[in-house]
Amino acid sequence: MWADLGMWVAAILTLAIFSLLYRDNPFYRAAEHLLVGVSAGYYVVNYFYASVLRKFVVPVFRQGDLWLLPGGILGLLVLLRLSRRVEWLSRYAIAFYVAAWSGYLIPAIVKERILVQIEGTLPPAPWTVAPGALIGALVLLVGVLSILVYFYFSAPHTGVLGRVSQVGITFLMIGFGASFGYTVMGRVSLLIGRFQFLFQDVPAAVLGR
Amino acid sequence: MSARDLPPVPAARRPLAVLAGLDRRLIFLVIGVGVALPLLFPLNLPVGVSREATAYYEAIEALAPGDVVILAVDYEPDTMAEMDPMTVATLARLFEKDVRVIALADYAGGTGIAARILRETARERGKAYGTDYIFLGYNPDYSATMLRMGESIRATFPTDHYGTPTAQLPLLANVDDYSRVKLIVSISSSAMAEYWILFAHGKFGEKIIAGNTAIQAVLIYPYFQTGQLAGFLGGLKGAAEYEQLTGRRGSGMRGMDAQSVAHALIVAFIVLGNIGFFVERSRRRDAARRTHVG
Repeated sequence: MWADLGMWVAAILTLAIFSLLYRDNPFYRAAEHLLVGVSAGYYVVNYFYASVLRKFVVPVFRQGDLWLLPGGILGLLVLLRLSRRVEWLSRYAIAFYVAAWSGYLIPAIVKERILVQIEGTLPPAPWTVAPGALIGALVLLVGVLSILVYFYFSAPHTGVLGRVSQVGITFLMIGFGASFGYTVMGRVSLLIGRFQFLFQDVPAAVLGR
Repeated sequence: MSARDLPPVPAARRPLAVLAGLDRRLIFLVIGVGVALPLLFPLNLPVGVSREATAYYEAIEALAPGDVVILAVDYEPDTMAEMDPMTVATLARLFEKDVRVIALADYAGGTGIAARILRETARERGKAYGTDYIFLGYNPDYSATMLRMGESIRATFPTDHYGTPTAQLPLLANVDDYSRVKLIVSISSSAMAEYWILFAHGKFGEKIIAGNTAIQAVLIYPYFQTGQLAGFLGGLKGAAEYEQLTGRRGSGMRGMDAQSVAHALIVAFIVLGNIGFFVERSRRRDAARRTHVG
């Protein structure tokens, strides 16, 4: 019974959101406000349970794991931003977090996103790959180099530099086109998801299938 | 006088130019009908299978019964339409192969989705919680979670999503880090698959495959090209490809007819809009030239 009720509420709210496609109206705004309110409530409860209770209160106060206490205190310092008089204390927590994040993220990014990607721009032994793959690798190399030239701003883009950067722009445009195509596919998929719900899931539930 | 300064000609006298200024509500209506009809009356259009989807399929097919896989449900309700078909198809195939699954959610909003799909798919395949699969839930700070799981899964998640101590879960009796995990599957609507590559693959050498939203797929290709990612699915099309490879017709394949019709309509609108734009520009230039000569 509750599942059916939830389905009807979801169907009505879906139609209320779709009504914006015609024009702004109270049904759309009510559904939008409901979404914001429910989402905020859901996330506050979820974060409180997952972070404060599960990772701090239970281990420290029930299991006596006092090593977590300094981390908890740093976390509480962030809340001091709410008071102008003591907000400077929150900077210690943020500084710690930024330093820790940088420490484990920067080496990983340099290795996986820069070094490995540079290495992957050309096959290690080009004479061993199939002709088709080699052509693909060369196109990739030309694309990478010409785009890098396009983003080189310390010299005017004239002469050879200008022509190479024009090639870079062409590659960028192809990339943006692919990105746009994928974005359209993603947005249409969301519409399909809602229509599958309205035209298939709801009737199936109503007819008891 | 420039072409822009000329007075507009009534729309009835320039039908092609009207295309450039169509009421967007008409476009919404046509797209809506174009998406709805194939869902009600399927066309069963063919779906080609890409190299990256085949690699995703092969990575799962290479698993043996009893192997352990981490399935990260890294998305929230806003992208369910794209991601759910991937999660359902992947989990169904893992269960069919008797692979044991450690599921988790790197976003708080993904816990409900993961719990539902795990429950329903496990019920269909007769799998038992605790031995065949477990759900660890959400843990704050995904990067720290991924790193620490490489050292101890039980320490990272002292309890599962339902509050049971992970030390009591039979599946984790002999599995406490990535060394016993054969594959990590990240079904991700954001850059989360990249973080799995950075931390689980980069630091621990884990094999990663990913399912991504269509928008994210463009950013994932370079990792597949370098071999950092063993395979991936991009958007609803990727889900349909995987369903085709596994012979399981799910909501991915059912949605592809509508996807194809919608794309054809959008291409038609782009072409018509551009024809209207160029015709209007040419007319204004001609008019400006005549005014200048006169």
